[in-house]
Amino acid sequence: MRNFARHLPHYLSLFGILIAGFAGLILFSYDKGFQTVVAIATAASYVVWGIVHHYLHRDLHLEVFSEYLAVAVLGLVILFSLILR
Amino acid sequence: MKILKLLAHIFVPHESNNQKAKILHPSGILTLAFLVVSFQLLLNFLPKVFPRVLGYAANISPSEVVRLTNEKRVQNGLLPLAENSVLSSAALAKGNDMLAKGYWAHFAPDGTTPWSFFTNFGYRYRYAGENLARDFSNSSSAVDAWMNSATHRENILNGNYKEVGIGVVEGSLAGVDTTIIVQFFGTPQNAAATIPVAQAKETATKAPLALALSIPTLSPSPVSTMTPAPTPTPTPGPEVGTAFVSPFSSTKNLSLAIVGILLLVLSVDLIIVRRKRIARIGGRTLAHIAFFGMILAVILILKAGEII
Repeated sequence: MRNFARHLPHYLSLFGILIAGFAGLILFSYDKGFQTVVAIATAASYVVWGIVHHYLHRDLHLEVFSEYLAVAVLGLVILFSLILR
Repeated sequence: MKILKLLAHIFVPHESNNQKAKILHPSGILTLAFLVVSFQLLLNFLPKVFPRVLGYAANISPSEVVRLTNEKRVQNGLLPLAENSVLSSAALAKGNDMLAKGYWAHFAPDGTTPWSFFTNFGYRYRYAGENLARDFSNSSSAVDAWMNSATHRENILNGNYKEVGIGVVEGSLAGVDTTIIVQFFGTPQNAAATIPVAQAKETATKAPLALALSIPTLSPSPVSTMTPAPTPTPTPGPEVGTAFVSPFSSTKNLSLAIVGILLLVLSVDLIIVRRKRIARIGGRTLAHIAFFGMILAVILILKAGEII
């Protein structure tokens, strides 16, 4: 919890990204093209957030980057499978 | 014992997996992504080999929608509606028209009204109404959604209606695989009126606005302009209820299972790492939980069904 409080501004920006992505996907639920763009933007923003967050905390490594990238790819694949199905 | 060790290796932070569940390593996560992609390829490939295995609306049957609608009416002290095959054919034609012209509305972009489907099939109505639903995985969730909407509920519980017809169509609507349920309500012109004529006339004048809002639409029958009733020739829709696998539902279920497992493993990881004060290089577990939580919310809400 102490860690969370220390990173609060970072997490608030992350929640902002995720809420914006969620709202975009739901509000434009029958615009496939827009949903695809929102999904890519949300996943890319998540990776960028991870890079910036760990860079500022001086613990950015290749393993960390690849973990965020893998999580974003999985999220994107799941969203695409639902949007494009 | 070996299985337990393997499960611990995959799902729990342990020495064997460098204090991080193997499924949370980039290789584990990408394996899950590969699984989702493979499943989608299989879903695209299956219909070519087994054409009758896949279908969108495996769980929606018109008779079940009629049964549930009548159940709601009886619960509210109304008489059940009689299923009318002409109305069903008209509803099916309306559904196919939406797929063919790519619209999701009561009125077609070319101005075709819902009522033209009634008259085209020779149904001379005193009262008529329409409820539409799409992307519901079963009949009861669609009827429940209608009942939770004041205007659609009003249609279902309208004492003026005597008959009902349901059309269920499947296909691609603006590039999205869709199941559409069209519910047509009607009272034949020769049926005995149940409300005073004066009241009926008053309601009928409000018809155009009422339709747009999905309020029960009461229209006098256009006797003078009606053409002789053609023989109903509805486009045969796909046979509903014979499919074994619904592509959208199975995709949704697989996604739910993967995200659910990941959220569980991430939560266990968060607790164990905090308790044991394990120091490791890696991403923030809480951030991953937030990300997959968002994905979970999208899976649960996305295309959960829409009514107009």
